[in-house]
Amino acid sequence: MEMMVVFLFSVLFIFGFVAFASKPSPIYGGLSLVVSGGLGSAIVVSLENTFLGLVVFLVYLGGMLVVFGYTSAMATEEYPESWVGNMVAFSMLLFTLFVELVWYFMSGEVEVDTAVELFDTVGVYCVGQDSSGVSLLYGCGGWILVLLGWVLFITIYIVLEIVRGRD
Amino acid sequence: MSPYVLLIISISLLLGTSLTLLSNHWLVAWMGLEINTLAIIPMMTYPNHPRATESAIKYFLTQSTASMMLMFAIINNAWMTNQWTLSQISDQTSSITMTLALAIKLGLAPFHFWVQKLPQGIPLTSGMLLLTWQKIAPMSLMYQISPSLNMKILTILAFSSTLLGGWGGLNQTHLRKILAYSSIAHMGWMTIIILINPTLMLLNLIIYIAATLTLFLALNHSSIDKIKSLANLWNKSTPMTIVILLTLLSLGGLPPLTGFMPKWLILQELVEHNNIPMAMLMALSALLNLFFYMRIIYVSTLTMPPSTNNSKLQWPHQQTKTTNIIPSLTIISSLLLPLTPMFITLS
Repeated sequence: MEMMVVFLFSVLFIFGFVAFASKPSPIYGGLSLVVSGGLGSAIVVSLENTFLGLVVFLVYLGGMLVVFGYTSAMATEEYPESWVGNMVAFSMLLFTLFVELVWYFMSGEVEVDTAVELFDTVGVYCVGQDSSGVSLLYGCGGWILVLLGWVLFITIYIVLEIVRGRD
Repeated sequence: MSPYVLLIISISLLLGTSLTLLSNHWLVAWMGLEINTLAIIPMMTYPNHPRATESAIKYFLTQSTASMMLMFAIINNAWMTNQWTLSQISDQTSSITMTLALAIKLGLAPFHFWVQKLPQGIPLTSGMLLLTWQKIAPMSLMYQISPSLNMKILTILAFSSTLLGGWGGLNQTHLRKILAYSSIAHMGWMTIIILINPTLMLLNLIIYIAATLTLFLALNHSSIDKIKSLANLWNKSTPMTIVILLTLLSLGGLPPLTGFMPKWLILQELVEHNNIPMAMLMALSALLNLFFYMRIIYVSTLTMPPSTNNSKLQWPHQQTKTTNIIPSLTIISSLLLPLTPMFITLS
């Protein structure tokens, strides 16, 4: 039953990808990003990584896509282009087939030895890695945080510089 | 370009390459490559005409695809070997994917199609950064994973790069495209030797960067982008013709100039490892490169193309563009051959 749910989620995940890769208007692209993002975080949660799924849901869908939706609504046109034609539906099915084939061939049995799994290379007890990893980012990983801040800054700066156009 | 934008772009370019060179975690190295890709895009779109935008889009798409493949290889490696350190890649899938991703980033054949026309739409200084600075970070990654690279793939990449770089440049008249094909061919020379003696790859990279920088700076000083614009260069600034002559012959790999050193050492290493057919084929492909360099030298330095009598009387005006670094770079790219024993002992 659980495998069926994960399979269904992954199929709809790829549907959502094709839906925004076929370049409708940005509003509809944001809609399919919401669908894909929600289903992706659901898949991650079903694999027992609750922190990552919730963070994607909150920050990506609840923060970044909300801002994206507001800005697209401000800059939208009168009749935004929706999904038209049979090509989109056909590509959805084709790409889903490809991705499911890749998933099938790359899946297999992985030996999990519980005694070894819980310790990483330094010897730190690492159950619940993700949340403690984020707190480490603010602690001893301070320089990486500065770097991440710089990268975000140059991203917005470069996008503004490219969009500026002629004087 | 506004000095604030230029400052942020320069800092980010230095930061990106330094991050990749100094990191021992795969994610940080990947982050450095991404910073480099992002930071050079505004420099490429700076002249706001559609050719520059098209070149910037081509660059961004290919580099993003390569970064995506690299991230896939990194995560696969982390899944298989449970560690993120920047050392050999033991898993075969990850190793091959990473090799192909870095080949796309460098512009090796058969992933060279983006390099062919891209430098034509962007200004000379952006093309210079693209073909020299942006090669350092992926090459350093290849250097660090070199023990685990696959020789068959590397041989195909290297040989097709030298051949296609040489053949493709034969029919070109725009200098930026010629330098693009020269870059493809030189990347091929670097790739063939990386499994056998990675230090020679670094030596080739340094000498290639020095010579290409000299050439770009000399062309930028005279604002030249076509071969026919070289026709009056003997009149406008004669030292530049000498610089172009020496640098191009050095890039072609002729003794007694510096460019002979990496080719000589690479061929020697290949022959010592009983790979004589490959050495022969690489040497023959380098001749194709030398032909179109000779064509440029023929037009600029060796002959005086026909012109009216008025244009032969150029008043020697005070030059306003700075050429501080061109003489030093010319000396580096043409006179360093006697230092070969020093470079050999570095390996």
